[in-house]
Amino acid sequence: MNDNPSVSAPELPLAESADLKEARHARRSRFMKKGIIIALGSGVLYGVYSACLLAATGSGSWIDWYGAGNWYADGVAPALVGGLPFSFLLAILILGALGSGLNDFISSIWMIGKAGVKGKFKDFLRCYKSKPGAVMAVCALIGGPVASTAYLIALTMAGPIATPISALCPAIGAIIGRILFKQKLNFRMVVGILICITATFMIGSTAFSGTEINVHFLIGLLIALISALGWGIEGAVAGFGTSVMDYEISISIRQFTSGVFTLFILTPTLFIIAGHLGLYPSMLIDAFRGPFMAEGASGASFLVLATPLIFFLISGLAAGLSFGFWYKGNSMCGAALGMACNGTFSFWVPFFSFLICGLYLGWGFVNGSLDASTGYVLAPIQWAAAIVMVIGIFLIAVNPLELFKKKKEA
Amino acid sequence: MLPLNFAILKLFEEGEEYDTIDVMEKLQGQYSKFRAFKFNAVQESLMSAEKNGMLDEVRYGMDANENLRVYYKANDYGMDMIKNYIK
Repeated sequence: MNDNPSVSAPELPLAESADLKEARHARRSRFMKKGIIIALGSGVLYGVYSACLLAATGSGSWIDWYGAGNWYADGVAPALVGGLPFSFLLAILILGALGSGLNDFISSIWMIGKAGVKGKFKDFLRCYKSKPGAVMAVCALIGGPVASTAYLIALTMAGPIATPISALCPAIGAIIGRILFKQKLNFRMVVGILICITATFMIGSTAFSGTEINVHFLIGLLIALISALGWGIEGAVAGFGTSVMDYEISISIRQFTSGVFTLFILTPTLFIIAGHLGLYPSMLIDAFRGPFMAEGASGASFLVLATPLIFFLISGLAAGLSFGFWYKGNSMCGAALGMACNGTFSFWVPFFSFLICGLYLGWGFVNGSLDASTGYVLAPIQWAAAIVMVIGIFLIAVNPLELFKKKKEA
Repeated sequence: MLPLNFAILKLFEEGEEYDTIDVMEKLQGQYSKFRAFKFNAVQESLMSAEKNGMLDEVRYGMDANENLRVYYKANDYGMDMIKNYIK
């Protein structure tokens, strides 16, 4: 087909020839395949986003803020800069909001820039003022300040294993869709949801395997459920909101609303509640500092100096692309299949966390060898549970019998 | 001026049937300078609207230039969305 056709619309007969049907089928098939590839890409990019965010908030000044070691490994509450007496709850809320806000705000700059390069900036402003734009902004507040902050807190407290819990969002989305939009929830979907819950228990069981129950780890898992709930609501409601909007504009609205609210309203409010608003500007700057920069050492390479900044830049880009592809994939191959493809992130997050944090940053090593207790080398049961969960997610989204039927028809 | 995607869907408000080429011709005057105003993007927009249950495919065929022409029309749900939601 030429790219700028100028023929007037003819009166066309109803399609009957085999060639015509084949051309139409090929067009639909190309569209569907593109949608599936985009939705699968959203899962992979989600892994990159999570691993880089974990790396950013585990480097430089963040090491001092969280204290040495991992909370989920040793159960030690963080001591903030200067040893300020923040309560444990406020500390995790402030650090979670700061990390998630920085990520989403940086992400919004990437995404608005991308929309601008493609000539969509004015449409971004126009859509922001529209009804679908307002719906997207509300979704952003549920998915961003609430779910993303909860996710980051959960990652920090429970490690990469928080991810499969948050990957329950399609299951929660199905339940919410049933309640809010009276969407169909059949026997197959219920079985899928039960499989996901079983997998969650399989993952959680590792927390009890030690001689001592780690309270912070368990709290982290509970907080991960909040992120699953938030993203479940976002997935169900944003699907409705984005069915009429360009996905690059949708994601720009989402990240900008979430980033600005989390970073410039929620985070300072938490500092005010803690009684240390004066710390907010300095922590905002220190959040980007690398380890040597924090100590004022000279001669260290830029890469070392700016470790958190570089990881925040990558996580922001990957988050925007991932969420954008999620919306786009859902609109192209249907929300059910789109969410199932995106749900593969329960594989990709531990995978990229292992590569970036476990291997590259060396967090997975104890005394020179990889150690599962670090949380960056997953136990076999956790990998198995992730596979079980993906099966559950697919069962919620797709009827296996229909897949076979389609194959036969093709 | 409406965002491009809104304008595409608003064309279907009166119950008319359009395909990608028709939509481009109808919007050419206002949106020809838009970098995003491309055949493939408009086609994807129509196919996405169909996938999301707003438009129905009503007929298709080849034109004189051997281009596949697929025509869409808003269904009741789509009509309601276009009239009441896109504001």
